[in-house]
Amino acid sequence: MIEIENLTKTYTKGAVTTEVLKGVSFRVAKGEFVAIMGSSGAGKSTLMNILGGLDQPTSGTYRLDGVDMARAGDDELSRIRNHKIGFVFQQFHLLDRADAMKNVMLPLIYAEGDGDSAARAEKALTAVGLAARKHHRPAELSGGEQQRVAIARALITDPGLLLADEPTGNLDTRNGLEVLGLFQRLHREGRTLILITHDRAVAEHARRLIVLKDGRIAEDEPVAQPRDAEAELKRLAADTPAAKPG
Amino acid sequence: MHLSRNALLSCQILAAHKLRTLLSLTGVVVGVGAVILMVSVGRGAEKRILDRIRSMGTDLIIVNAAPARLMIGRQRTVATVTTLTPGDARAIADECSFVVAAAPAVNKSLVVRWEGNNTTTTVTGIASDGFHIRNILLGSGRAFDAEEDRTRRRVAVLGPTVVKNVFGGADPVGQQIRVGTVPFEVIGVTRARGIDANGADQDDIVLVPLETALRRILNIPYLHTIYIQARDSQRLPRVEQEVRELLRQRQRLAEGRPDPFTIQNQTTLLKTQRETANSMTLLIGSVAGLALLVGGVGILAVMLISVRERTREIGLRRALGAQRRDVQIQFLLEAALLAGTGGVLGVLAGLAATRASAALGMWDTVFSWPAAALGFAFSVTVGLIFGIYPAVRASHLEPIAALRSE
Repeated sequence: MIEIENLTKTYTKGAVTTEVLKGVSFRVAKGEFVAIMGSSGAGKSTLMNILGGLDQPTSGTYRLDGVDMARAGDDELSRIRNHKIGFVFQQFHLLDRADAMKNVMLPLIYAEGDGDSAARAEKALTAVGLAARKHHRPAELSGGEQQRVAIARALITDPGLLLADEPTGNLDTRNGLEVLGLFQRLHREGRTLILITHDRAVAEHARRLIVLKDGRIAEDEPVAQPRDAEAELKRLAADTPAAKPG
Repeated sequence: MHLSRNALLSCQILAAHKLRTLLSLTGVVVGVGAVILMVSVGRGAEKRILDRIRSMGTDLIIVNAAPARLMIGRQRTVATVTTLTPGDARAIADECSFVVAAAPAVNKSLVVRWEGNNTTTTVTGIASDGFHIRNILLGSGRAFDAEEDRTRRRVAVLGPTVVKNVFGGADPVGQQIRVGTVPFEVIGVTRARGIDANGADQDDIVLVPLETALRRILNIPYLHTIYIQARDSQRLPRVEQEVRELLRQRQRLAEGRPDPFTIQNQTTLLKTQRETANSMTLLIGSVAGLALLVGGVGILAVMLISVRERTREIGLRRALGAQRRDVQIQFLLEAALLAGTGGVLGVLAGLAATRASAALGMWDTVFSWPAAALGFAFSVTVGLIFGIYPAVRASHLEPIAALRSE
């Protein structure tokens, strides 16, 4: 599904040239759940932008479903982002003025074809367990719920690839685990996920771990004992019986 | 892009930024409203002029016994000319094929007295036909007839302004007045006619029989004016030509010598006035158009602020699959939506202002739907034009940079 070969990315700012990616190669097959891990400055955000079709590599090739992304024009990249990639951001990036339904429907504005967008949005919200809160605005939702709305938005065009950039970065442990649990369920349902994080505990919810260091791959192997977010949630609830509901 | 799916969202976003939206709307509303009000006022002035043409009769031709010049649209008499005679008037009526009637007349500014009151007014001696030719209608009493003219009777018909100045509220019919030193009996009062094309009060007038004026007041044998009624208002130039040739022939003027008289028809005079009114409308309309332009700059500012404030939204939309063009269309549509709403409100404001100014009696106004349509179309165009730059700027934001901006 994803084929990356000898990818480099160099930023030039004035006279200073920074090599962020120094030859990265890997493949991701359909249905994999991969975590890309690295400390800040390791190049993981740059990699994520290239994977998401938001940025072009300086050299090397990136094929998504056989399409050479380096050769795709701006409009084609937009189309690919719309129907092949679902983004989940650390900052959620929801529109404050619109309710959950409107936020989830946003990608459909740019999608081809017709169909009942409201029905699709409801289905996506149901999939993330938020059908009851569809008319709430982001400000009326908890952080975890906001991120789940963002995931519903990423799912609505039924993309082959889900790209999550520090999706738990702005969430507390419990909400973070809920989001990770959702990802694990989506993985079981056969979706391809790439999770980008600096946190090993988060990364270990995936099945495969790629560690970036200084713009190169330092480590690429299956997670020996993947964590189970749902089990962790249960344990968390048991540990804090006095915790307020909701 | 599915426009309908996005339009509602755009409306919500605009509605959510109430103050900003309101401020940018104000400029457009004021601009469109001002354009409409000004055009309506201009049309009102034009209508007043047209009404005046109708009240005077479009078939009226006036011969003045002076080579008059038009200065700044007003008629100035240059010298006394003594060559126009009652015989000329009779000849015109008899010999010109398209002339129905011709009424000779003289004018002089004189003091009119009644009891202790007096006023200086225009005394017009005119043949009895003149009432019909000049479309002068009687409000009370009666006009004088040809017999009274022939016998030089001292009877007078007053304009309402003279009645007001000399009689106050009293009924003048049957009263004795003095015109200069000559006593006259008031036999009638004309209906109000208002201001003429030269800005003179047509009601500040005393009408007496021509022969009476010539022999008993002025003691002159010549005329100042001949009022001519043409058979057909379409043939005025032809009638003018006929009259000119006849007069030159009667006065034995050699070829090449200038006319010692001036021939005007009311429509040409009023056409000048109408053109003045039109250019006034255009001028005021342009000023209002400038206001609209300022409104457009307001939209430009609002949309630019909007691009800055919504950088992350733009980045997000790009990440979710919006093409550059989609972002451009969205911002253009929002600008057009702003301008369109402003246009509709502006039309309503213009309508209200037009009605109000007519109701308050400030101006005669004629509401002009073409002007309203033009104002609306202009506002949308202004919105689109001033929306282009912000739209292009928005579409050229890099999605990642836009997403990461704070």
